[in-house]
Amino acid sequence: MSCSHLSTAWSSSALATRRRSAPSSGSSGRLQVVRCSLRELRSRIDSVRNTQKITEAMKLVAAAKVRRAQEAVVSSRPFSEALVEVLYNMNQEIQTEDIDLPLTRIRPVKKVALVVLTGERGLCGSFNNNVLKKAETRIEELKQLGLGYTVVSVGKKGNAYFIRRPFIPTERTLEVNGIPTVKDSQSICDLVYSLFVSEAVDKVELLYSKFVSLVRSDPIIQTLLPMSPKGEICDINGVCVDATEDELFRLTTKEGKLTVEREKVKIETQPFSPVVQFEQDPVQILDALLPLYLNSQILRALQESLASELAARMSAMSSATDNAIELRKNLSMVYNRQRQAKITGEILEIVAGADALA
Amino acid sequence: MKLNLYVLTPKRIIWDCEVKEIILSTNSGQIGVLPNHAPINTAVDMGPLRIRLLNDQWLTAVLWSGFARIVNNEIIILGNDAELGSDIDPEEAQQALEIAEANVSRAEGTKELVEAKVALRRARIRVEAVNWIPPSN
Repeated sequence: MSCSHLSTAWSSSALATRRRSAPSSGSSGRLQVVRCSLRELRSRIDSVRNTQKITEAMKLVAAAKVRRAQEAVVSSRPFSEALVEVLYNMNQEIQTEDIDLPLTRIRPVKKVALVVLTGERGLCGSFNNNVLKKAETRIEELKQLGLGYTVVSVGKKGNAYFIRRPFIPTERTLEVNGIPTVKDSQSICDLVYSLFVSEAVDKVELLYSKFVSLVRSDPIIQTLLPMSPKGEICDINGVCVDATEDELFRLTTKEGKLTVEREKVKIETQPFSPVVQFEQDPVQILDALLPLYLNSQILRALQESLASELAARMSAMSSATDNAIELRKNLSMVYNRQRQAKITGEILEIVAGADALA
Repeated sequence: MKLNLYVLTPKRIIWDCEVKEIILSTNSGQIGVLPNHAPINTAVDMGPLRIRLLNDQWLTAVLWSGFARIVNNEIIILGNDAELGSDIDPEEAQQALEIAEANVSRAEGTKELVEAKVALRRARIRVEAVNWIPPSN
């Protein structure tokens, strides 16, 4: 009469993939492992049904939140468009000049700050684990290069992970509640800015999950500081991404299912009118612009990380729902068979009894 | 002649409306901008932004550093955050100032001191913006 091994089935997505890879075995209700009384079976069917309701609700909540996150991205677009345009124009204006800014100064690297963005909640598959694993590998790499490092952890899950590992030097742990706002990115921005300018670290790297599609997100590492003065986004290998491309998530319905599309918008850059004067030294103006740019980069990363988390939760919850439905189906089949067998047995007994009397 | 003023932050559009005149705190001091101003690029310092509306009323907003571009009677101000003076609670601003002052005296190390001083400046500007009395003319 063991019921324990089945109680874990609904939450484990690993089980779902295993079952899906061998669909022939699960479909015909050959669940030989189920050996329970009818009453126990009934209560288990009920509990699986409840769980299914919960996971379904969580999936819908995640879907609704993706939409809200998308609105946040949209509302920041006028700003980011204007910023990119201004940066582009400034860039053309000062290309010939030799500028020396604290944020672009490249120093020999002795210590690296690693900003790790994780989620605030669990139940989203391997989302948080992927990021943390990537962080571990990067830390290992830095150790082998003989460089010092310090971690700035953002998100509850990452905080818990680093607090449990006191041997990893952690500069600060931060939390983001709900949809990331400028305040959240500003506090990260201020922190890395002061770390970098006070020469406590010589390089700042940002580790976050890049949103690829609803079922996939890749943890990537991006160099935040020192910045390249041309306002390009570079990854750790120095491969540059075009900064004039703005990306946008769009939640749509495709064939009756929710999907998220990624849309790239090329921002029109107008020719810079040559009569525009600089009120201050170009260096000072860049000094004002680059922190803005840094902040918008961090905000973008936070938004992207949130979108990935919600997408991961959506797919985790939808496979949990699928599992629950299948489990329920199998359990009810076993239940019905047992019930049938019991009735048949009783009829046989009655018939046999009547025969014996006759 | 009117000026088009846009104050943009990543969160939202703070201001998108026609105005008569603005006074802007730049890194090299305050500048007044009237229609047909020469086209300039300027860094905006932490400080108040005074706006004269079409009905000659003055409004104050607070800018936390950023960048401004004035071309063809169009002013674009980009900042990480901005607040309209009417959205600031005077008592709360005063309290924040006191907390910030206490933090500066308690700060240890360069990094903390820098952070505390920036926070103090912010708090002071907010209080000033709330208590500002517009010129009567």
